[in-house]
Amino acid sequence: MSLVLKITSVVFLIAVIVFVLHLVKKEKIAVKYSFVWLIPFTILLIFVLIPGFLNWTTNLLGFQTASNMILTILVGLLLIISIALTVIVSEQKEQIRLLIQEVSMLKEKK
Amino acid sequence: MKTLIIIPAYNEEKSILRVYDNIIDYNKKNKSDYDIIVINDGSKDNTEEVLSKNNIPHIKLIQNLGIGGAVQTGYKYAYEHNYDIAVQYDGDGQHNIEYVENIIEPIKNNEASMVIGSRFVKDIDTFKSSAARRLGIKLISFFIKLVTGKKICDTTSGMRAIDKDIIKEFASSYPTEYPEPVSTVHILKLGYKVSEVSVEMNERSEGVSSIRAWKNIYYMINVILSIVLIGLRRTR
Repeated sequence: MSLVLKITSVVFLIAVIVFVLHLVKKEKIAVKYSFVWLIPFTILLIFVLIPGFLNWTTNLLGFQTASNMILTILVGLLLIISIALTVIVSEQKEQIRLLIQEVSMLKEKK
Repeated sequence: MKTLIIIPAYNEEKSILRVYDNIIDYNKKNKSDYDIIVINDGSKDNTEEVLSKNNIPHIKLIQNLGIGGAVQTGYKYAYEHNYDIAVQYDGDGQHNIEYVENIIEPIKNNEASMVIGSRFVKDIDTFKSSAARRLGIKLISFFIKLVTGKKICDTTSGMRAIDKDIIKEFASSYPTEYPEPVSTVHILKLGYKVSEVSVEMNERSEGVSSIRAWKNIYYMINVILSIVLIGLRRTR
């Protein structure tokens, strides 16, 4: 893996992590849901930082280049995060339905 | 037995009063005592004004929930008020009140926990409807049979009665989308007895069906997937 790609990856990953932490600090993201982003990106960062680790895994998993592998991992991560978000949205839809029903029934009783 | 008729209403300003009056007239003539609760599912027309002006007992949902969420609100109301039987009934004048007696009969006799008012108990082909629609209902019927082993002919009928146990079940868990076929499978899977009773329905006079034509394929895929998924659940 070229040094330039390595530096770019590290900068990108740190930027994402810092941005998520910033949003948590501003209470735009709940701590609970920030883990969906922070944990995978931190792990990825550690992978890139360990010398030789990327090249080793690239050969092991049969990728042509390290950049291919990183791209694949990122796409995979985004897929998992999207599924996690769909689960959260579905749960909230249920909760909102319950709220609408209960509030409407309460309003009727008054 | 305390019986509640649940009428979900979305933009039914033209028909809801007539539907309500029909039931009240029927109660007077037959000395029956069906209670009524209309669930106004966030209508955009004057349904709410009609309901309030005529003192029709109703719950106004503060947001539109769709047919499943609206009917479930009725079941929650039935559960809270300790009803023995709850009947789902359309607000657009499609259903005939005389048949309510027929569909609650099997529940009173402990022969079934859920009774579906069916437009075609024996043969779907006599039902006047488009070929595509009949094919759709047949297909859903096939999957219900596959998953539960029970033949339900009129899978999308909106006229149904349930007993106290199922009121409790539905109050806590009821499918929001495509509720009729999906809830039937849910109940069959739980081991309750479901039966069908023949009823006649009128052509809808006002309003549009909740199953719109252009959404049919999407609807079918959704329903069949839901049925198959419930089928894969382990029976309790």
